[in-house]
Amino acid sequence: MSISTFRHVRIAGIKTSLPEHYINIDDELEYFAGSTKKLARAKKMMGYGRRYIADENTTVTDLAVDAAQKLMTEMGLSADEIELLIFVNQKPDYPEPSDACIAHGVLHLKKSCAALNLNLGCSGYVHGLWTAHAMISSGAVRNCLLLAGDLCGRTTDQTNRKLAPVFGDSASATFLVRSDEDRQASFVLGCDGSSWDRIIHPVGGTRIPLDEETVNLVFKDASGNKWTPQQGMMKGEDVFNFTMAVAPALIKETVHAAGWTVDDVDLFAIHQANKQIVENIIEKAGIPADKSPADVFSKYANHSTNSVLTVLCDQPADAVLRKIIFSTFGIGLSWAGAALDVSGMYNGGFSTYMPPTDKLSRADRLAHWAKHFKGE
Amino acid sequence: MTREEFLIEMLDVLQREDELTFDMELQDLDEWDSLAVMATMAFLDKQFGVKTTLRDYEIMKTVEDIAAKAGL
Repeated sequence: MSISTFRHVRIAGIKTSLPEHYINIDDELEYFAGSTKKLARAKKMMGYGRRYIADENTTVTDLAVDAAQKLMTEMGLSADEIELLIFVNQKPDYPEPSDACIAHGVLHLKKSCAALNLNLGCSGYVHGLWTAHAMISSGAVRNCLLLAGDLCGRTTDQTNRKLAPVFGDSASATFLVRSDEDRQASFVLGCDGSSWDRIIHPVGGTRIPLDEETVNLVFKDASGNKWTPQQGMMKGEDVFNFTMAVAPALIKETVHAAGWTVDDVDLFAIHQANKQIVENIIEKAGIPADKSPADVFSKYANHSTNSVLTVLCDQPADAVLRKIIFSTFGIGLSWAGAALDVSGMYNGGFSTYMPPTDKLSRADRLAHWAKHFKGE
Repeated sequence: MTREEFLIEMLDVLQREDELTFDMELQDLDEWDSLAVMATMAFLDKQFGVKTTLRDYEIMKTVEDIAAKAGL
């Protein structure tokens, strides 16, 4: 485990942007053989509820830029002040360039502001926080705009019932600044790369490109769930066992790394994989359930990279929070915990991204790139 | 945990309202689906410190087999 502590950095503000469209599990009775009893059982066991899904014309950068613009307006922050942009996500707008560069352009950040991407999923938000803390703490920059999100909802075939009821889409903006106060932030991170194939999107990279041979592949499992090359796949039971082995211990180690006790903590924000997993982690870690929300999953779904921040954004605006623990785990397989003092932080909560009415269609965009190539 | 308590706990794990006995075949239970397998994995881990994999659930045929896995 990598354990580190920084001082003189604080989170100034956060905001999450959600797509407009959502699916309610109550409207999917067809997938439970028409049985309201089976649906009720799945809701109780897994916490299935509402999941926000981006439309086919909305990308993670659209959502992240929307969150950033709203956060900057609400905090009175100008683009010229930002010195570093970090974007954490796994389903980019384009294979290249990185979404950090695109967001840098759309937000009109200054040319001396560096921009980089981190490619991580469920543990990614805390990896981003860690990197931001290290960069500010080192004196390299005085502040950082951290963008995080993914589109695991939009990119999953809704008839794939192993994954579809679990995932939703959102992205967030977090603004971190150098602080004169002696404010401590402790992190515990790790990775088990030997399990890199447990959660994977196997086609579409350079190992197995998406081409004529692969584009129409379809595999079905014993239950009839359909996998296509446009989707990821997950060995659920292995990930479940990994989570139970790692996540409760991570919470304890993070609390310990900060020199706190469980009683000191105001909020345990746990990656909302699903309600069953979160409740099992809470029980195994021996932390108070009233400080460890497991119902955020039912309100928004599992938002992968941004899932842990939905827990903090979901806190009431008047909630007095000081010491919080983030606990994240997932693809890699990797994990990251953080113990932070968030007193004075602006919580911008959630807002809805409204796509511009004059947004280019897919055909318009393809025509644009054709002209671009031809030099017209 | 006694064997009787185990059966009561398993009703909750499976979210089953009808009777449950040790000799019942898992495949015959309406509730024995992927959600139930995950819930059983969590139950064995939390209550008995027993780690199971999908392979175990291919081998286990009855409620008695799960109890045996739990050491009861």
